[in-house]
Amino acid sequence: MKFRDRTILVTGASRGIGAAIAKAFAAEGGLVFVNYRSSEAAAEAVVEACRAAGGQAVAIAADVTDPEAVEAMVARIAEEAGRLDVVVNNAFAPYVFDPDNRVRFWETPWASYQAQIDGALKATYTVCQAVLPLMRQRGRGAIVNMATDLVARPSIAYHDYTTAKAALIGFSRNLATELGPLGIRVNCVAPGLVWPTDASRGTREAVKDMLIAQTPLGRIATPDDVTGPVLFLASDWSGFVTGQTLHVDGGLVMA
Amino acid sequence: MIERAGHLPALAVGEVEWRELDFAAWGESVQVSVPVLGAAQARALAEHVRENARAYLKTLPVAQIVATIDKAIARLLDRDDPWRRKADAILPIVTGYDRETVRLGLSGYLRTFRAPQLQRFLAEDFAHPGILDAFQPAMKGGFTRAYGPELLLHIWAGNVPGLSLWSLISGLLVKAGTIGKVASGEPLLAGWFAQILAEIDPKLGECLAIVWWQGGDVESEGIWLAEADTIVAYGGNEALTAIRDRAPVTARFLPHGHKIGFGAISAAALDTRRAGPLARLVAHDVIRYEQQGCYSPQMLFVARGGRVSPREFAELVSQELARFAHTHPRRALSVAEASGVSAWRSTEEMRAFDAPGRVVLGDAGDPWSVVCVETAEALAPSALYRTLKVVAVDSLDDVVPLVAPFRPFLQSAAVAAPPRELFAIAERLGAAGVTRICAFGQMTAPEAGWHNDGRFNLLDLVTITEIESTAEHAADGFAGYVD
Repeated sequence: MKFRDRTILVTGASRGIGAAIAKAFAAEGGLVFVNYRSSEAAAEAVVEACRAAGGQAVAIAADVTDPEAVEAMVARIAEEAGRLDVVVNNAFAPYVFDPDNRVRFWETPWASYQAQIDGALKATYTVCQAVLPLMRQRGRGAIVNMATDLVARPSIAYHDYTTAKAALIGFSRNLATELGPLGIRVNCVAPGLVWPTDASRGTREAVKDMLIAQTPLGRIATPDDVTGPVLFLASDWSGFVTGQTLHVDGGLVMA
Repeated sequence: MIERAGHLPALAVGEVEWRELDFAAWGESVQVSVPVLGAAQARALAEHVRENARAYLKTLPVAQIVATIDKAIARLLDRDDPWRRKADAILPIVTGYDRETVRLGLSGYLRTFRAPQLQRFLAEDFAHPGILDAFQPAMKGGFTRAYGPELLLHIWAGNVPGLSLWSLISGLLVKAGTIGKVASGEPLLAGWFAQILAEIDPKLGECLAIVWWQGGDVESEGIWLAEADTIVAYGGNEALTAIRDRAPVTARFLPHGHKIGFGAISAAALDTRRAGPLARLVAHDVIRYEQQGCYSPQMLFVARGGRVSPREFAELVSQELARFAHTHPRRALSVAEASGVSAWRSTEEMRAFDAPGRVVLGDAGDPWSVVCVETAEALAPSALYRTLKVVAVDSLDDVVPLVAPFRPFLQSAAVAAPPRELFAIAERLGAAGVTRICAFGQMTAPEAGWHNDGRFNLLDLVTITEIESTAEHAADGFAGYVD
């Protein structure tokens, strides 16, 4: 029970990787705040699963790109839990990964970049600003930001999405430098293609086969593959690790 | 492991009753045998030391005493020397300070007593150190000579390793027959040092003794107080008052009571580049000897107006303490010590509930505690063992009225400020009773020749004999060669 008496906020946790991460923390005894934007029923289902896994969980609605909503969410966490040990910035702007019909650079308007930067970077920025006072008072905390291995290896050029995640990695490294002296660690987990999730459900077998052929561990990641590295970076086991990006893609990227 | 404390010239081990003190820390234990002398033994020992000092120590040139102490210190500084290895092995168990703290602390401290530094001690107090060897011409005419005590009694306290050496060595420099009473918290190093001196110069070894009696044993203490002509005593004011009341009125009594050290940081020192390293130095002073030293900081005054606020600086110090908890862990506290710390913390937490300007940083389970308050608060002792209160002030000028009411407890203050501000605050702190102003990171390592509690280490111990110019001139009249 690595997270007994620990409080964890997972953004975008009503489905996919976020839901898997929330359940994994709950299974280790944590009190998990399951953040969602609009899928209340899905979030409640995750809460139920968390409780079934042996932890405590609370569904908490907030659009993470809206500073006021985030402030209100963190105020509620402070009131209900009195502390916050871990934040997993998992929420991201809706995106369809479709290699067959992807938008090429000359077709990509700046607005698409802006939307992804808001979804990846602004959301993380907003949540980090809001949770910082809680973490600083106790002089400890772990922030885990979800990136992608496409930054290191753009197997398929999703310009707007990957550029925003690249910015997120740069953001995380600077934050790690600033917050290290305050006892707070900041790291990224960069999965490869994770299947199945809502965003990847339509991925064709040919694409998967192409990735599998180049992946030393010979398969595509599942949401559960991502949870271990996230929990590791959130726990004392990685107490001397900060500013890192941990690739979770079966060895497709080695760095 | 059994270790014998003390140094008893002219007394065989078998003639003495020994009592065992048990120490345990860091998963190891050690039993220290301390001597319990009978009244007759104590009186005989005092006489032995006094006689030998008269016959030998007082005839040595001070330069030779310096050379001998230098040799003894060199042995303790040598990591491979058996005495030093013993000190590194046993003192962490006895004092509870972690090995690295003991090793680094000892090496830094012992360097204060090498020959050049001892010359500094002498030069600080005597315009001409030869005054300890022979009559020297005086500026006003005539000649003067300084004599150390016949029998100097040291009563040491606390458990900071080797603290006893400061006054022990001061006494030897003025050629005093020396009796040192070790504290139960660190009963070893003074005795080891005496034994090393005896190995280097056996006759010198007959001129000092290291003894022990149970604190509060009025009968034993009374015997020694009656024998000594000068008494240097460390401890709380209550204990010191008791000693003073029992000491003969003819004895010179030099007390060193408990002190409360503090730090003051100017806004000019608090930019985003320099605040971090400064916080590390503050934390270093806090962890070294768990704030047990008279010079240790117990409160920190931080000026507003820098790029880094007092609250942010408190956070940085708290984090540095977190780091030191890994590299220099705090020993396990006794129940009484732990409850003292947690009472201090929970009092502060209670007060923080309805005071928005008061923050208790970290977790209750952390082996350190930093509290930050935004309203002025007067100097007060912390709960020791890495507990520190950071008080925000508008400027360093505001610090003086917060510490001035506690003059009897003032001694060391660390100041981080630009030169003009340093001298301005030093002027006012000095007037308030602070006797030592140092840099952060150095609070627990006073420099050689430091005037402990603002007094003279050597000058306070001696008496001056003057040949007035009238005697000199009159003598001329009695010379055989007079015309």
